[in-house]
Amino acid sequence: MHPILQRRSSLLLYLGVWLVFGVLLAVVFVFGARAPALWSLEFAVPIALLLGLQSLSFWYLVQANPPGDTPVVRLALTWLAAGVVSLIVWLAVAYAWAMWLTPADEAYPYEAIGTFPLLIFAGAIGVSLAVLGHYLAGAFQRSRNAERRALELQVLAREAELKSLRAQLDPHFLFNSLNSVAALIGQDQAAARQMCFLMAQFFRKSLTLAREQAIPLAQEISLAETFLAIEKVRFGERLSTRLEIAADVREVAVPPLMLQPLVENAVHHGVAHLLEGGEVFVGARRSAGFLELVVSNPCDPDRPPSRGTGVGLANVRSRIETLCGHRASVDVDAGESRFTVSILLPASGAASDEPVMRAPSAGRHVGAATHQS
Amino acid sequence: MLIVDDETLARAIMAEHLAQIPDVEIVGQAANGFEAVKLADELQPDLIFLDIQMPKLSGFEVLELLGQRAPAVVFTTAFDEFALRAFEVHAVDYLLKPVEPARLMDAVARAAERVRSRTPAPSARELSAAARPPGRALERILIRHEGRVHVLAVDRIDFIEAQDDYLSFAAGGKRLRKQQTMADLETQLDPTRFVRIHRSFILNVERLARIDLYGKDSWLAILSDGTKLPMSRTGHAKLKELIG
Repeated sequence: MHPILQRRSSLLLYLGVWLVFGVLLAVVFVFGARAPALWSLEFAVPIALLLGLQSLSFWYLVQANPPGDTPVVRLALTWLAAGVVSLIVWLAVAYAWAMWLTPADEAYPYEAIGTFPLLIFAGAIGVSLAVLGHYLAGAFQRSRNAERRALELQVLAREAELKSLRAQLDPHFLFNSLNSVAALIGQDQAAARQMCFLMAQFFRKSLTLAREQAIPLAQEISLAETFLAIEKVRFGERLSTRLEIAADVREVAVPPLMLQPLVENAVHHGVAHLLEGGEVFVGARRSAGFLELVVSNPCDPDRPPSRGTGVGLANVRSRIETLCGHRASVDVDAGESRFTVSILLPASGAASDEPVMRAPSAGRHVGAATHQS
Repeated sequence: MLIVDDETLARAIMAEHLAQIPDVEIVGQAANGFEAVKLADELQPDLIFLDIQMPKLSGFEVLELLGQRAPAVVFTTAFDEFALRAFEVHAVDYLLKPVEPARLMDAVARAAERVRSRTPAPSARELSAAARPPGRALERILIRHEGRVHVLAVDRIDFIEAQDDYLSFAAGGKRLRKQQTMADLETQLDPTRFVRIHRSFILNVERLARIDLYGKDSWLAILSDGTKLPMSRTGHAKLKELIG
């Protein structure tokens, strides 16, 4: 949308500037070419406004040739051509206007002819100023847009973080795990201790990871492993897991707590609803410059997809969209008896390369990553 | 006493706590709803501790299947805000996991009192309807047919026909019968997918192929498999409103 046409007030202001330009032009005619004062005003003000209206179209050229991305030569040629065309059109109309202003029985005033070289000069200045002005307006609008988008992104990221935090503190998971601990204390104290340790580790990791912008995939995997270890205590033989993590993706930077909700869904909405249980599969590998993450689980064909899955998945999807835009994708395959989510994220060429998203300094997480169960 | 929970550890700790209470005998443990229904019939326990969230059949559904023969029930759950609200509304006893031994003792005492006074079991259907999150319709129908439990997903139903005291569910050419009233079922189904087109018929709108005029103020609903169902004037109006 044209920034000047967007609001009535800005259009009036814009035309006001050109009105002043017209009056100045008339003054130049009177003193520079000794033209009659009234004729000069009658002639100069309308054509100044015309030049202003004509120049409005420059906005679209500014949009098509953003100063940063366009080669300088092309930029110069484009504007030269646009300026010349605009000027010729304007001069032709100005000439016709001058002819019309002068009564037919009168000889064409010498003064008017004298104004034409001046007119070309003034028009060139006017066009140049208009181009400059439009570039400034464009830059202003771009920076404002960028600011707004950055703000939107921030709000979205915050929301996602809050949601995933709440998901981490899933009360059902917490109370069931506590119940398992209570049961284990009577049966197997070492296992009970181990369970306490796993739970502490899980909540600690969730809380620290949630604060980061991006983390190495290895940490996200380690969180998922801890979670699955806890759930294996609860579900016993009904839950089995298979993790296939390629060695060259462990350091790829990913948004935190993105894999975790999917693994939780796989257990709570998949395996938990099967009498015999099943296997949760988590895979990560590099494929053509992308990081491919897959979470797959068997599910009950008699059970309609529950809403909980939808929320968790939608949350992951919106976060990935916010962070990576169109360079990432989330693909859901809801089969009759198997549910698979595949995520493609941009990944750097090698683990040591600079990742697409900035990973936090390695030192802060070494401790968490090495304590694996 | 019967313990029903899909988690081995949860059953173990319940059994451990119950063993501390005098005059309590655990006759069996079930790891899922199907086993629970079977064991409850076979063993005739006085009281069942019934977990709500289990695979295939929820605790509510187990209670529904037990029907009139249901013994006293104490539900157990780790966390389920909707279920808790339903328990409060219908004054049903429940325990939160991990279970506090003192609370368990109280629950057993209250259940013994209910058994003595022959207090009827709470209505499973009312309970599960109250425990369903708002705006969420029934998703599957439980039918006990010739000793077997059928779980029928509602989208597999073609139509439902009333036959005396029974409802006959038509799904993929087969028929399953269940004792329930039309009005009761109608309120539980998703009104955007199921319409009562006649006093004796509820139709799954997705199965509708076309509508034929049959006579003055009466229509025939033709299903995609060719079945013809009568439609009343009000049924026709309801259907029209839904599909436009």
